[in-house]
Amino acid sequence: MRLLTHNMLSSNIKGVTNGFPLRIEVEKVVEKQVEINHDFLMNIFPKIDWKAFFDASRVMGYVELPEEAPEPSVLESDLEFLRKFHHALLELHLEEGALVCPETGRKFPVNKGIPNMLLHEDEV
Amino acid sequence: MTSAFQTSYSPLPHFPRTCQRPPVRRPSVLFSSSRTCQSPARFMSIRVNAAASTTSDGRALLDGIAEFYDESSGLWEDMWGDHMHHGFYDPDSNVSGSDHRSAQIRMIEESLRLAGISDDPAKRPKTIVDVGCGIGGSSRYLARKYGATCRGITLSPVQAGRANVLAEAEGLADRVSFQVADALKQPFPDGQFDLVWSMESGEHMPDKAKFVNELMRVAAPGGKIIIVTWCHRDLLPSEESLQLWEKKLLNRICNAYYLPEWCSTADYVKLLESLSLQDIKAADWSQHVAPFWPAVIRSALTWKGFTSLLRSGLKAIKGALVMPVMIEGYQKGVIKFAVITCQKPE
Repeated sequence: MRLLTHNMLSSNIKGVTNGFPLRIEVEKVVEKQVEINHDFLMNIFPKIDWKAFFDASRVMGYVELPEEAPEPSVLESDLEFLRKFHHALLELHLEEGALVCPETGRKFPVNKGIPNMLLHEDEV
Repeated sequence: MTSAFQTSYSPLPHFPRTCQRPPVRRPSVLFSSSRTCQSPARFMSIRVNAAASTTSDGRALLDGIAEFYDESSGLWEDMWGDHMHHGFYDPDSNVSGSDHRSAQIRMIEESLRLAGISDDPAKRPKTIVDVGCGIGGSSRYLARKYGATCRGITLSPVQAGRANVLAEAEGLADRVSFQVADALKQPFPDGQFDLVWSMESGEHMPDKAKFVNELMRVAAPGGKIIIVTWCHRDLLPSEESLQLWEKKLLNRICNAYYLPEWCSTADYVKLLESLSLQDIKAADWSQHVAPFWPAVIRSALTWKGFTSLLRSGLKAIKGALVMPVMIEGYQKGVIKFAVITCQKPE
């Protein structure tokens, strides 16, 4: 599971008012190289919840991102930042671990990189 | 959601986790006489079944669906590729083997066309969700077509894994990802997706109202929803329900494919209207999918198909045995191949 995916997932347990973002528990992180696509990064940047992304990247062991989201124009001018953004967003994979509901503490397992977001009977 | 609901209303049919005993002809519990298509009571019972879906019967259905696809997905992919849906054909056309894949692509394109999805780079969808994504054929196709991101959800861990592998192989892994999740409880915040896509997964949903509600919830304002699904024929104004022989026919299909109760195209349209969705369009494409099941049967009867089926397991075999019933259902006008599209208000 990439952080791009994590940035779009939320806990939908009954009664939870704000299930985003899910906390990450790491058991195994894998890095997989992906070719940089400048246009894609430019398009996706405004849709990223930066705080959630920043926090998640640190949990995954990557400390290079700035805490504050820069202006979008930085993506055009600062190749170094673009590379870091790309790396954290797309090249870090949570292979094994869990996503944790911020309100209830319920853990959604991540196995072989796939989050299992199915709810139990009493959570629906 | 308490078990009190279960005692007052007909429970969902029990789907056995294993197929060790031969399939038993049991009285249909899917269509009790208290349920009608036209009256509000039907939607009440659909909502009450939502409570039932959280009980062990509902869990059995989810597990059954997951196991069915865990078991048979690889077989389908071997024979037919990564699109697990009907092809779109010109009526009365002669189709040969190689035409089926392009027919499946055409099904996607015709659905997009009905919904009026624009190719204009400024207006085309940028975020897409594929609800009941299979091994991600639609997701990858749409992501590539529109340069969009796509999230797919499926109950089957095998399918999600395979879908991710294929995305990686096709260089789309940065934009397309797949998760195990329930379409009735999508793990996404509200209003995320410009295009909400459900290609032949609606027939698995035990609670159509909840299903449609979730589709609407995750759609962005102004976003479009496309549902392609198997329905039963619309009821006549004088009818309370399908005829008994029709219910029995559908029941045989339900048991093999882990389908809960069928509804009609008109039911879907009513649900969308009740949610104030706009620009609702519905079409019956039954005549455009007629060559599909005979082609699937032919592929199952080839040496490769037959031996692979035997190796896949009992659920896949049961599914294969019921294919002639699908054809019968279409021929007798019981089953309709429905496309329903709409737009969420801005």
